[in-house]
Amino acid sequence: MAWIIIIALAGAAIARPAANLFGKATGWVMSLIPLALFIMILRHAGDVADGGAVIATMSWVPSLGVDLTLRLDGFSMLFGLLITGIGTLVTVYAGAYFAEKPAADMGRFLALILLFMTAMLGTVLSDDLIVMFVFWELTSLTSFMLIGFDAHKAEARKAAIQSLLVTGGGGLVLFAGILLIGMTLGTFSFTEILARADELVASPWAGVIAVLIMIGAFTKSAQVPFHFWLPNAMAAPTPASAYLHSATMVKLGIYLLARFDAVFASAPAFGATLVVVGSLTMLVAALKALRAEGYKAVLAHSTVASLGILVMLIGLDGEVAAVATVGFILAHALYKAALFFCAGTAIHATGETSLRKLGGLARFLPVTAVAAVLASLSMAGLPPFVGFISKEYLFEAQLTNGWNVVPIVVAVLVNAVMCGVAGVVSIKPFYFKSHRVETVKHGETPGLLVGPLLLASGGIIIGLFPDGIGNLLIGPAASALYGSPIDVSFQLWHGLTPMLVLSALVVAIGVAIVVWWDFIHDHLRRHDRLFRLIGDGGYHWVVDGTLHIARSSTRVLQNGDQRRYTAIVVAVVVAGLAFALLAGPAGLYIAAPDGSLRASVAIVLFLSAAGAVATVLARSLIAALVSVGIVGFAVAVIFMLNGAPDLALTQIAVETLLVILLTAVLLRLPARQRHSRTVGERRRDVGLATAFGAVIFLAVASMSVIPLDMSLSDYFGQTSYLEGFGRNVVNVILVDYRAIDTLGEIAVVAFATLAVWALLRNTGPKTRTKE
Amino acid sequence: MQIIFPTMSRLFFILMIGVSLYMLFRGHNEPGGGFIGGLIAALGFALLAMAHDVGAARRALMVHPVALMGGGLLLSFVSGLPGLLSDQSFLTHWWLEIGSLHLGTATTFDIGVYCVVIGGVLCLVFRLYEGIEQ
Repeated sequence: MAWIIIIALAGAAIARPAANLFGKATGWVMSLIPLALFIMILRHAGDVADGGAVIATMSWVPSLGVDLTLRLDGFSMLFGLLITGIGTLVTVYAGAYFAEKPAADMGRFLALILLFMTAMLGTVLSDDLIVMFVFWELTSLTSFMLIGFDAHKAEARKAAIQSLLVTGGGGLVLFAGILLIGMTLGTFSFTEILARADELVASPWAGVIAVLIMIGAFTKSAQVPFHFWLPNAMAAPTPASAYLHSATMVKLGIYLLARFDAVFASAPAFGATLVVVGSLTMLVAALKALRAEGYKAVLAHSTVASLGILVMLIGLDGEVAAVATVGFILAHALYKAALFFCAGTAIHATGETSLRKLGGLARFLPVTAVAAVLASLSMAGLPPFVGFISKEYLFEAQLTNGWNVVPIVVAVLVNAVMCGVAGVVSIKPFYFKSHRVETVKHGETPGLLVGPLLLASGGIIIGLFPDGIGNLLIGPAASALYGSPIDVSFQLWHGLTPMLVLSALVVAIGVAIVVWWDFIHDHLRRHDRLFRLIGDGGYHWVVDGTLHIARSSTRVLQNGDQRRYTAIVVAVVVAGLAFALLAGPAGLYIAAPDGSLRASVAIVLFLSAAGAVATVLARSLIAALVSVGIVGFAVAVIFMLNGAPDLALTQIAVETLLVILLTAVLLRLPARQRHSRTVGERRRDVGLATAFGAVIFLAVASMSVIPLDMSLSDYFGQTSYLEGFGRNVVNVILVDYRAIDTLGEIAVVAFATLAVWALLRNTGPKTRTKE
Repeated sequence: MQIIFPTMSRLFFILMIGVSLYMLFRGHNEPGGGFIGGLIAALGFALLAMAHDVGAARRALMVHPVALMGGGLLLSFVSGLPGLLSDQSFLTHWWLEIGSLHLGTATTFDIGVYCVVIGGVLCLVFRLYEGIEQ
């Protein structure tokens, strides 16, 4: 099974060169990779049919107990097939969509799409939560790059950052939840967590874990109050919107909640919260869908509403809810991706994004228009489409669940709005006479038609013959979700039931919405304040507030005065050391010197003191520099006299280097003789310097009282030659025992130097430009 | 000064590079090692830059200091990889015994440190001395 992820990753790697090689046919060629993966996953269908799972394990980070365990059950197979199946169609579609663009653009886009597919497959296939989290974050990153694909547009950049902040921040919250689970149960394996669910729910951390996981899922699946990022993410090229922001990625939150619903089955508050949040999201999104103007925006808001329905369904208990969840995921992925494809073709053809300015496109895009109508009929929930079946199950799940009437009313209203949206997005741009488009820039090409046609006709075929897909896909997925095998009767006709009545009601209201769309739309546009409240105002408030705090704190802390920085650093060190000395257990000791002072050491110390005094008294910077140099070399000699030749050598080399670097700096400074510091400032500096010297003296003196623990030194001394083949213990420690520390240090040094090097780029005469 | 310093600097440069290499390779048994060796070599190049000009030092170095820094970091990192093969532990060194001489991935690790230090120091020194008229 690991091959699935490896092949997907390889596809991402070769997409760019392939675009140069195959030109306009790249989409068709590259689509073979997701297609092959689709078949590979489908071949496991028999293994998971009875609610079983295929498991493959590799050791990854044994010291942390993280295993690369892949697990394919019915539910992950549903996702895997959606990811690779729609991935195939998206690749074909993107090939046609980018046909007139440079090959490099198409290559970059396909590489990102396939990388995203890898991340998605990894997320739904991994059993270990840490591994899943890594892939989860990778989906956020690729989503960020795809939303910001047209990086020259400010709007795209803003939307990309917004989505990254929301989903990435939510990812961190989720990570905290995963770590808490690991701490509580001592395992990250989901299979084991599920088996020990009672233990987890009984632990004191259960509530916190549930909330953290819910927040992680809500950010990803755009639930209230994190719903605002998804409509803005429509800045992405349309194939990406169809793939990431309707069919797959935004359903990851649903995936996670569905998985953890089984874990928290015995905690009723979990389900109740989901029902409330889902219903709120449905309402908010439905209102915003009625008000939206852009073609893709309307679809995006209705996607948020659909995600709300799914969250609510997960919150409900029972077999029917499980079937309804799975059925709705499938139905929604089919019709929404198809509608996004149609929207993309319409926008691509006209360059116009507003629904108000699109009309009569059926003359130019006849096949797309048919696909749009088919898909929207499924979305509207009309028989014999799969959307109808899934909606029947939705109402049945609600009615059998004993919830009060409010969520049912919400569900009816929201479904009616979706029905209305479906009518508007398919009929208005393609068939309405008003705002007729007279010319189109691009017509239909086969690549633009395969995706919408296959998906839309899939909706009707599954609706007419639901048995096959019910046994193959929905049954195993619902069983995996429910925890025990379910006998699914995924049927088109259920007889005259209350659900059918509700469906009829939905369609009636939906038709009314289509008829009075303009009226409702204009009416809603007047309520600016309400919509600002349920928009991304909160997000902007938080982001702007953070930036404001950063700005004002930077003004205080980083005023650009080097002397002030030095003063602050020295003062903090003095305060810290003084506190440690006074509060520490050792207290304040000053050791009387044991043994006699050697004459050689005394002479060097005297030299060093003389250098220090000379530095303070020096009138010019050069003189001060030389005097400091005396102190430095004297210290090196002291190291030498006390048996630390390595240290002494380094000290001498660094000291010389310092002189060379400072000389270069001094050569650039104006040769000023007099100090620019006031008397008061100089007094303060004297105080700080004296305090620093005193506290360091006290620290060194009291440190020498504490007996040294020699066990480490002895160990290194004894084993250095035997294990590291070196007699210089210092060097063996650096390159062998603690080599990973050294590697980290040289990496830090290299990157810090690189930053300084970049900053020094323009050291010539400054040409300041007003910004 | 204008004659003696530039002339002698060539000689000193060669001496310092020699000493730095000596320091690098004897470092495992006696005082020295990649860090000290790198500092001494960097000082040699800095001497050239001061006595002649930065261009002369750049020519003597042959590669760009930033590239040297990156290459060194890569070398140090790569020398940890063989350990992964033998007992799955990064930076566990491999050794080759030739008589009493031990050569191993620890040596290449130290050479990496040597390169990072030279490259890091010199990319700053060159930047600072460029633009100052001699």
